[in-house]
Amino acid sequence: MIASIRSEWLKLRTTAVPWVLAVIAAAVTGLLIVTVFVNGGRGPAGGPGGGPDQRLGTGAVLHTTQQLRNLAGAGISADLFALLLGVLCVTTEFRHKTVTLSLLVNPHRPRMVAAKIVTTALLSIVLAVILLAVTVTGGGIALSAQGGSFTNLLHQVPAVAPGMIVVFALFGVLGVGVGSLITNQVAALIVCLGWFLIVEQIIQGIWNGTTRWLPTGAAAAAANVTRGRGVHVALFNWWEGSLLMLAYGLAFAFLGSAILMRRDVT
Amino acid sequence: MPAAIEVRGLCKQFGTVKAVVDLDFEVSSGRVTGFLGPNGSGKTTTLRILLGLVSSNAGVATFNGRRYLDLDDPVHHVGSVLEATSFHPTRRAEDHLKTVALAAGIPAGRVAETLELVGLSDVARRRVGKFSLGMRQRLQLATALLGDPEVLILDEPSNGLDPQGIQWLRSFIRHQASLGHAVLVSSHLLAEMEETVDDVVIVSQGRLVLQTTLLDLANRSGSSSGLRIRSPELDRLGSLLEGIPVAYRQVASDTLVIDRATPEWFGPFAAKNQIVLYEVTHERSSLEDVFLDLTQGYEAPVPGAPA
Repeated sequence: MIASIRSEWLKLRTTAVPWVLAVIAAAVTGLLIVTVFVNGGRGPAGGPGGGPDQRLGTGAVLHTTQQLRNLAGAGISADLFALLLGVLCVTTEFRHKTVTLSLLVNPHRPRMVAAKIVTTALLSIVLAVILLAVTVTGGGIALSAQGGSFTNLLHQVPAVAPGMIVVFALFGVLGVGVGSLITNQVAALIVCLGWFLIVEQIIQGIWNGTTRWLPTGAAAAAANVTRGRGVHVALFNWWEGSLLMLAYGLAFAFLGSAILMRRDVT
Repeated sequence: MPAAIEVRGLCKQFGTVKAVVDLDFEVSSGRVTGFLGPNGSGKTTTLRILLGLVSSNAGVATFNGRRYLDLDDPVHHVGSVLEATSFHPTRRAEDHLKTVALAAGIPAGRVAETLELVGLSDVARRRVGKFSLGMRQRLQLATALLGDPEVLILDEPSNGLDPQGIQWLRSFIRHQASLGHAVLVSSHLLAEMEETVDDVVIVSQGRLVLQTTLLDLANRSGSSSGLRIRSPELDRLGSLLEGIPVAYRQVASDTLVIDRATPEWFGPFAAKNQIVLYEVTHERSSLEDVFLDLTQGYEAPVPGAPA
């Protein structure tokens, strides 16, 4: 299994996929840091604590626990990139037909999917750590420049890091699951983005209580942060949410593997 | 002892299309077997079933008695070259091989070795997207050789190769057989394989037409040879031929063809009868003709046509 994971990582890193995703995710996170300051702490997650007197330029700086947590955990909003990583880990192989070679080396298809799940989960954790580093350095510099406390920001990292790591890993697993079910790259990407950006919003709009059961709600619970998508409903606690996310990911992966077993690779 | 490759009663249907129908053949170690048939005759499907990529509806396809899916470390037993498109374009040649080496537990040094073997050492660090078709085929061969397998499966490996490349491939394949490896190589051109293969498996429309040795196939072609004779005395030659049991036909005002005749017989015959000759050509139907006859005759049997 370790050999397969090393091979999967080599396959990924010799394509543009992980690098482009990491750079975009870091850029998005960087922009979010800027908005944290512009909005005086209301930040990307729309958390409480921002007030008019704390806007950039008024001399006030971020200082409440919630404000600093929002800043340190700004990268959580880039969790969809872990999903994309998982989707691309599988679908790139089908797009370029390298899956033929992968299956010649390892003819056991569920084992191939499992190797991709573990690899993507590990890389997603790395991505979460990179984004934490971006928020802590970028946010720290901006904070210090305004006379805020960098140390106080660092103190909030342990509060947000575990949630981010869990959520990113789970989104990675879900991505591989979706990718092995929908092997057509364009279709898989459209389904993923369509689901998270449009369909979930509609479902939440129609049935208010469903949020906690949807992947986004489960992920939000897992991260133990309010994602601030305008809906405030009771979420599961973090481990219930994590299990639900994992169940989604594994269900897709299981279904995907089962279909892959029957699929002729031509 | 089971054959290196054995296919028994293999059937595969895609929707309503019968791609492979009750196919049987064997491939022995130390020999090169040409898997021949026109495009769309089920060769690629058969190879993909052998390699566990496509499922079969019936029958077995095994290597030394075991299915590909049941082999431990399959790349150490079977090396395969399928189509030239299974590369990620931005991946470097060396990295492409390393992905396989890592997964199969093959030492990293073997990557450089196989690149050397196929003559790609100089471009090891180049991205495969920049490779020519011929270079891709060589890289595919390098991939197949990584595990030093005792069975090689090559699907149309000469596609896209230049004449030097084909020459190189030929000696490469012969060398593999001389090492005692079994080589199954598919092609839609027998002419290309004539100098390479020991045995032939000829298929058409997913069915076996003939499995035999190249030697036997060559004898079949020799038996349908004839003499083409150009002479100003065709009328006299014709009346002389009437007296002996040979089949002949006039094909032009000054030319006739005698079936199944040899120059060794006709030379003395013409001298004895003092016939003026302008030209005598010994026409052998080529292996390719035999191959075409076999496959086409199978494809479109004409009622009442001579066998």
